[in-house]
Parts: sequence; C-alpha cells; structure tokens
Amino acid sequence: MQKKDGTSASRRAFLQRASALSVAGVAAPWAINLAAMAEASAATATDYKALVCIFLYGGNDYANTVVPYDTTSHANYTSFRPSFAHSQAALAGTVLTPTAVPTDSAGFAHQYALAPNLASLMPIFNDGKLAVVLNVGTLVQPTTKQQYANKSVRLPPKLFSHNDQQSVWQSSSPEGATSGWGGRIGDLFQSSNTNSTFTCVNVSGNAVFLSGNSAVQYQVSTSGSVPLAGLKSPLFGSAASTTALRTLITQSRSNVLENEYNRISKRSVDANEVLTGALTSAAALRTVFPTGNSLADQLKLVARMISAAPSLGAKRQVFFVSLGGFDTHDAMLTNHPVLMTKLGDAMAAFHAATAELGVADKVTSFTSSDFGRTMAGNANGSDHGWGSMHFVMGGAVKGKRFYGTAPVVANNGPDDVGQGRLLPTTSVEQFAATMGGWLGVSDSELLSLLPNLSNYNSSVRKLGFV
Amino acid sequence: MGATREQIAQVQARGYSGWLSTQFAMAPSTSRWDAMVAAKFDAIEHKNSENGIDQALWRKLLSSPDTLRQRVTLALSEIIVAGIAGFNGSGWNNFSGAAYMDILEANAFGNYRTLLQQISLSAPMGEYLTYRGNVKFNATTGALPDENYAREVMQLFTIGLVQLNNDGTPKLSGGLQQETYDLDDITGLARVFTGWGYDLTGTDTNSPGFKKRPMTMTASRHESGAKTFLDTTIAAGTDGPTSLTRALDIIYAHPNVGPFISRQLIQRLVTSNPAPAYVGRVAAVFNNDGRGVKGNLQAVVSAILLDDHARNSNRLADPNYGKLREPVLRFSAWARAFKASSPTDAWAIGNTSDPGSRLGQSPGRSSTVFNFFRPGFVLQNSQNGGAIVAPEFQITNESTVIGYVNYMQNAISKGVGDVKADYSSLLPLADNAQSLIDELNLVMVAGQLAPATVNLIKGGIDSMPKGTEATRLNRIYAALVLVMASPEFIVQK
Repeated sequence: MQKKDGTSASRRAFLQRASALSVAGVAAPWAINLAAMAEASAATATDYKALVCIFLYGGNDYANTVVPYDTTSHANYTSFRPSFAHSQAALAGTVLTPTAVPTDSAGFAHQYALAPNLASLMPIFNDGKLAVVLNVGTLVQPTTKQQYANKSVRLPPKLFSHNDQQSVWQSSSPEGATSGWGGRIGDLFQSSNTNSTFTCVNVSGNAVFLSGNSAVQYQVSTSGSVPLAGLKSPLFGSAASTTALRTLITQSRSNVLENEYNRISKRSVDANEVLTGALTSAAALRTVFPTGNSLADQLKLVARMISAAPSLGAKRQVFFVSLGGFDTHDAMLTNHPVLMTKLGDAMAAFHAATAELGVADKVTSFTSSDFGRTMAGNANGSDHGWGSMHFVMGGAVKGKRFYGTAPVVANNGPDDVGQGRLLPTTSVEQFAATMGGWLGVSDSELLSLLPNLSNYNSSVRKLGFV
Repeated sequence: MGATREQIAQVQARGYSGWLSTQFAMAPSTSRWDAMVAAKFDAIEHKNSENGIDQALWRKLLSSPDTLRQRVTLALSEIIVAGIAGFNGSGWNNFSGAAYMDILEANAFGNYRTLLQQISLSAPMGEYLTYRGNVKFNATTGALPDENYAREVMQLFTIGLVQLNNDGTPKLSGGLQQETYDLDDITGLARVFTGWGYDLTGTDTNSPGFKKRPMTMTASRHESGAKTFLDTTIAAGTDGPTSLTRALDIIYAHPNVGPFISRQLIQRLVTSNPAPAYVGRVAAVFNNDGRGVKGNLQAVVSAILLDDHARNSNRLADPNYGKLREPVLRFSAWARAFKASSPTDAWAIGNTSDPGSRLGQSPGRSSTVFNFFRPGFVLQNSQNGGAIVAPEFQITNESTVIGYVNYMQNAISKGVGDVKADYSSLLPLADNAQSLIDELNLVMVAGQLAPATVNLIKGGIDSMPKGTEATRLNRIYAALVLVMASPEFIVQK
C-alpha cells in the first residue's frame, strides 16, 4: 500500500529542516539555525502532549463568568448592571478560595465567584487543576490607559470587531491572516507525529488558529471522519465509476480553487482510512458526557482521538473546539447561564475523560473568545469589550490560583477604556507562550511563533500557570 | 440559481442583456409569507417554532420562475445577514424569516437605500441585532443604548472597517489602512436606534402580523439628545423616525458604500477575486446609474453580469478566476436543471446545515451576522496561501466535501423528502454515455468539463449495463454524481 500523503509530507518537511540544519552551520542566518535545531529536537519527542482551544464565539461576558464577589466590587458590579447581575446569595456556592489572593494594581485584594452555572468546574478548581487568567486580551505591547488615550503606542487593529478580534486572538492579525499560533505550533511538531494530518485537529469549523505555514488543520465531525459512500461500495454498481470518482475529486488541478478543493477531498479520503480504524479500535470511554451540548459532543470526539493517539502515532496535537452564542447584547439573564452550563459541564466531562484515559497531565485546555464585554450594560445585556477572564484546565496546570492583575470594577476607571471595557494587562501572546512552552516550544521559537512577544521582557513572557 | 435547457435557449434567442431585461420584468411569485399563511403555519401551535420557513425558502430557490431575482435575493441575504435561529422575541421565528427574506426579494432589483431603510425598520432585524426594545441612556441605572446594530450596520451592511478607494482597494496613509470609525462613533450612532418596538396596534403576538409591519417608535424611550458619529451631529430634539432616516442618509453618503457593496455582489455572483478595475466599473454604476441615482440594484446587477470580466471566456485561463459554488447553489443547480418538484408542495428538504451528512449550509440559516463565510476569507494552507480570497472555502472542510457527495448521491437517485427530479429529458440519451455527459456538461457546467474529465466519466458510464429503464436511470445517477463531483462544476467560472 502506498504511503499516506501526510506521512511523506511530514518526512519531507523533516528532511528539509535537517538539511537546513547542516547548511546552517556554514552560512544560514542564526535564526533559521535555531529554529531548525528546535524542530529537529521536537521531532524526536517521545511523550504525548495535547493542547485544546475552547473558543467562545461572540465575545464572552467576563463579568458574569468570573464575578466580582468582595463587598466593594460586587456592589459596583451590581450598580453597573442592575438588571442582570448575579446576587451574592446566588454566588455563595461558587465562591473561589484560591491559594493566593488576587490583587489589583493598587494592591487591593479581590474576591471572585464563578457564574452559578459553572458549578461543575468548582471541584476541578479546588483540586488545583483549573486556573483563572485575569484580564487577558489582544495587545501589541504593554499599554497604559494614557497610552491608549493618546494613541501613542500601537494597538491591535480593528478592536471591538468580532471577526477581526477572533482572528487577532487566534493569529495576532485581523481577518485575512493565513496562520494562527496553534497551527504554527503544529508546524514545529508535525514531524514528530507518524501521520502529520492528525497534528492540528478541528472539530468545530474553519478557524485560522489551527492553520500553520505547512501544518494543515484537519477537520472532523463530532462522530469522526466522514466516509465517502461512493468509494465504500461501487457507485450505482459500477466499480469503474467509483474509480473515476476517486480520480475526479483527488487529482491536482491548474485552477487554484479547484486544486484547493481537491486537496481537501484527498486529505479527507486518505485520513478517513486511517482514522476510522483507529477510533474503532480505541477503548470506549466510560465518562458520561452531557447530551444536547454541542461543545460536549466536540470534546468527546477530542477525547476519543486522544485515546486513539497511540495507534495514530501522534505525540503532539493541538485541537480546536467552539461554542457560539456569546454575543449577549440582549437577554443576558436568559441566555448566558445556559451557555455557562454548557461550558462548565462539557469542560468537566472532558477533564474526567482525560483522567480516565490516564492523560490528565498530558492535556491542557484553555478558553478564549473574541473579546470581553462592557461592565456597564445596556438595559438587558452588554456590548463589545476587550480584555476578559479565561480558564486553563488540566493535570499539569498550577491551578486553584489566579494569574494576572485583578481589574478594578469601574466605568472609566484605571483599568478600563470606558464602560468597563477592560484594557488588558496580560496579552494573548503571553497566554499563548505559556502553553507553547509547556508543549516544548523553545523560548527562541516562541518569538517567531508570536510576533509581538518580544515587546515583553523575557521574565514575563510566560505566566507560569502550566 | 441554475440553468435549464429553456433558459439557455432564451439567452441564445435574446442575448445577454435581452435575457436580463426579461428577468427584471418578471412578476414575483407568491411571497414566502403568503405561502406560509396559505399553508396555515400562522396557527397558534406554530408560534414557538421554525415550522414552514425551510419549505418556503426552498420552494422559492428551487422553483420560482424569476431565477435571477432569486439569485440576487440569495446574494443579498449573504451580505445583509439575518439567521432564522437568531430572531429572538415573542415567537414566530418562522415568520420573521419569511418577512425578512421577502424584504430582500422585494428590493433585489430596487434601490439599496430603500432596502437599508426597510431592513432597519423591520422587526426581524430589530430582533436579530437586538435593537428592538433598545432604550435611551437611563440615568438611574446607568444603562446605555445597545450598540449592536450601530456597529454592524456600518461594518457589514454599508461602509466596512477601512476607507476604500472607488475600486474597492483600501486607501493608505503612510502605508497604513485608515479605519472608518471608532468607539465614539458607535456609541453616538447607538443612540439613534433606541425607542423602536413591535407594531402591535389592535392585535397581539399570537398572530405573526407584527413581524411584517415596520417597527414603531415610542418617543419616551428614544434618546432625544444629540447623536454624533462620522463627523456629523443629529441635533438634540430630533424625533426617532427622523433620526433614523437621517442616520442612514449620513452613512449612505459615505463613499465606501458603492465599492464595499459592489465588490461583495461581484463575489456573490461572479468571481471571488475581481480585478480592482472591475469593482471600479460596477461601483461607478452603484454611485450613479446614469440618471443620477445611487444604489440602483438593477443597474448594478446588469453592470456586474455584462462586464467583460464576467463574460469574456479568456478569463477561464486565469488560474485564480471563478468562485467556489456554494453548496446551496450546487443543490439548486441540480434541482432546477431537472425540474425537481414537490408533489405535495411540502418541499420537505428541511435544514441542510449539518456538515457531515447534508450540505453544510442552509438558506437563511447563517449562525451569525457574519454570514456562512466572509468576503475576506483567505485560502489557508494553500499552495498560494493568502494570495487570494475564497469566501466559500470557510465552510469547506474534510467533512463537508464528502458529506456533499454523499448527500447528492442520495438526492439524485432517491430525491430529498418529497422533492424528486424528472429525468425524462435524459432517458433517451442514457444508453449513449457521450450524449448523456454532453447534455449534463451543457446544462450543469456551461460546457466547461475538460476533455479528460469527460473521458473519466465516460469510462465509468460505459462500464454500466444499458437497454432498460432501470439501467438507464443508474447510468444517469452515476453520471450526475460524477459531474457534480467534478472540479469544473464545483468551481463556477
């Protein structure tokens, strides 16, 4: 049987890098030399690690997710959104008791509670496997409120716009970006996997996060890969027509769009032959995932793929899943709790599944979203913001802790640019670098992975949460 | 929506512009709204449902004789987007969907400014972008106006995020793009879209009529202070309806509107990467139809379809030319070419959104206001990644490419629900593979199948038994699956 395209491609890529390495000693620029060496060492990685991006499409409302709970902050929070704030009584069961008290820039201690509907995350937090990163968002460089107001430093392009900030979160560039940091991590590690196709796996829908320069995001449905009926059995009884079908959909073409479409079809047909077998032979999960929860459906497939990773020969994987509906301009109290239930229950089930598989400390999951929202709401919802609170979960996470600086709950206070749109104090690139480092990306490679990371002092490029 | 033998003959007889004139003059078919009422979907048990809307949308797309109007309506529904699942408020998502799409169709050959006015006052858009019930600043609670519509009406429906030249390319200053508005413009404009609500005069929400009536103004909820945005101020004390009209006039006067909308319409109808000069020619018509009118969509559609860049077959040699045919249009091409019909008028195709087992797209069912795909979506991981945009690839992946072929294999041979094709025109050709493929090539692919592709398909069909109706049908099914899976069909040129 012919070698799978993915395998030969990854081997080719590795050989190219290896030759770059040997040439580098003589003439190639130092940076290429370093990158090539790191990739070569990544290629020899023998353990398994996976990163899972849980993207909350629409811009999650941070204030009703990680809720200010200390008396002063909660009173302010309630005053800014009187018609859709959680009461302290409703939050009593989800108050977070971290190992260290988070403080704001003035040194005042803050207390937080999770949204009541995130109760299923409480045991994971208390077990030290879940951390909260405070006020993280898109930035080019450390930015003060004065600098923002004076436009004296570069700001992320197209702030507050959904599609663009999704893209900046995922790739450091607005819509039109061709690669994201998940995919660029995949570039480094795909040669360590037997079949490079299974390096960047998307169970949601196209997301620039998982596209690399050479790594390809491979998309599966929540039930796995989709087999082509016309190949499984002769097309209307005609084996010759089946052969023609295979050729038609996989041949290379001179028209760019036709060619791209066929490359996807070919990858799909090839991968399906491998993946279907691997998923079938992997042991069934006993962990019960919630039903009627599309995020749980996706994370369940991720867990199944992780369980099949040994037979797929995968050593490093990056996954992307998502949940939509977070653009809560309206009906916050009706819609947001439902979303929180889905998020919390799906994450908790996934964590349990990784524990069942014995890989909880090999899998790190994190949330991300277009942007945070305003603290000061409209009549029944909140509007587009900037910085937000995010979760990091997994056995390797140093949890039961907050990371970053607690923002003051205010409207046009020290930490927001008006209406409680938070000016981030931690950049997405620091957040990303921390997880990239955990996967084994070298410090120097992080700088090429994340174009603005060098604007941060080397001591703060990684946040230490994993 | 898809060619037929009859339409091809009409184009041959009347020429391109003659055919367009005929299409422009065609009477609209029964509206989605009226069809749903006639089918009694306005009965109270359908209030909290989406019942009836998919069938109303599919009926139009697959069977309405005014094919060009349907095609432009679909294009508009992918620029000024509202999705059925997002019509939150007082039930009747089904009728919100019908009312909304009927507005787009009624204006498809009309004026873009009129369309913008009607959309902005429509209950469905008020629901979808959450400004129905939006209220002025509340000094007691501190609640501010909802900014949702203020932002998207500019970013998506009119001017976009960056200043444009008339040919659709970004204006640069010091090498950098210039953003069209900032946060202050949004908060200023948001004040305009306050005070609007359902028109429930003499009725209640138990019948869907209020979804079709323009929203009405409650003056006490409208922000009466000054509204400043885009370097213009609507004076304090201006009433709500006047403010809305003024605000849309101000936005519409922005020079971006012509190129921003023209380029997207070209992308929807002709090619993903139009040359700037092509965009410029169409935008010029958008800005002035020759009689001083801006936004004449009939003139714009003519300019798009009659342009040399749309008609000249030399374009076929350009490896970047064309657009990925979106799944709904592949399906409609089959249905229209072979006169698929619904004997019970149920058009029971339903929601085709599932990417692994259906089309990965369903009319009127974009999950966000950003459409199924973005006009700026670039090819990722492509051999020329980033060099060109390819919007429809945003909903194309390893699941959808297979799910589509599987879905069509079933649809072609068994139909979908009660919708079945009529292959009587093909049966006399089916024993001769070459004749059968030639016919499919003409009707489905505008004769663009490469000789090698024809030979591949012929090799398959020639292997199949013939001589009886059953064997002929199998040959037709196999040939159709192969043609519809072929790259020349998948990419419209």
